[in-house]
Amino acid sequence: MRALALLLAAVLTCATGAAAAGAARKPATVQIKMDGMKFVPAEAAVHSGDTIVWTNTDVVAHTVTSKTGLFDSKLIPPGGTWKYVAKKAGSFDYKCSYHLPMTATFTVR
Amino acid sequence: MTVSAPAFAQAPNDAQIASIVVTANQVDIDAGKLAASRTKNAAVKQFAQLMVTDHSGVNKQATDLVTRLHVTPQDNDTSKSLKEGGDKNLAALKPLKGAAFDKAYVDHEVAYHQAVLDALDKTLIPNASNADLKALLVKVRPAFASHLEHAQHLQASLK
Repeated sequence: MRALALLLAAVLTCATGAAAAGAARKPATVQIKMDGMKFVPAEAAVHSGDTIVWTNTDVVAHTVTSKTGLFDSKLIPPGGTWKYVAKKAGSFDYKCSYHLPMTATFTVR
Repeated sequence: MTVSAPAFAQAPNDAQIASIVVTANQVDIDAGKLAASRTKNAAVKQFAQLMVTDHSGVNKQATDLVTRLHVTPQDNDTSKSLKEGGDKNLAALKPLKGAAFDKAYVDHEVAYHQAVLDALDKTLIPNASNADLKALLVKVRPAFASHLEHAQHLQASLK
C-alpha cells in the first residue's frame, strides 16, 4: 500500500512538473483573415505548437495552400475557417491557389 | 474591344443597383461557362472556371442580401445594356476556336472587369443608399480588381 502511495506521488510529481514546463508558454491561437483578396496579416510569426486559424471574410472562396506542398486547406467558402497547427520551425510561404496575387508567409519559432 | 455601361440620367436606386450587380455577375458566369467548355488552354480554363465560381458566389451573396432587405431587383438601361453586351459577346465567341477564341474571351474579360470597376466606383457605390448594399459593393470591389489583374496577366501571356 505504501509502495502504491509512493508510486502515485511520483506520478503526480511528474505530471505537475510537465505541466509547469508547459506553463512557460501555452500554445496560442493566431488569427489570419482572408479579406479584400489578401491575407491579413501577410506575415505572421508563431511558436511551434500554436494553432493558426484562417477566416475567410471575403465574398469569394479561397484556399490556404503551401507553396511547397506541406499543407492545403482546399476550398474555404466565404465565412468559413481553416486551422493548422504549426510544428516545424521555419518560414512557410503560402498562397490562394485560385487568386494569383494572394500570397503570404508565416514563420514558426 | 470596349465594354461600357451607359451613364445614368438619374442616379440609380437600390433596386436598380441590385439588378445591375446580378446581371453583371450573370453575364460573366455565362461567358466563363462557355470558355471553360471550349478552351484548350489550361490557364484560360482555370481563369474561366474561377470566374464561374467567384461570380456565382458574389451573386448568391447579393441575392441573399436583397432578399433580406426586401428589395426586388429592377431592370434598367444599364442592366439591359449589360445583358445585351453579354449576349453579343457570347455570339461573337461561339464561332471562334483555339487561340482566336482564347484571345477574344480574355480581351473581353479585361474590358468587362474594367467597365464594372468603373461602374462600381462612379455609379454603384456612390449611389447605394442602404448601408448593407453599399458595404457589399465595397467588399466586392477587390474581387473584381483581382480578376482584372489576372485577366491582364493572361492577356499578356497570349500575345
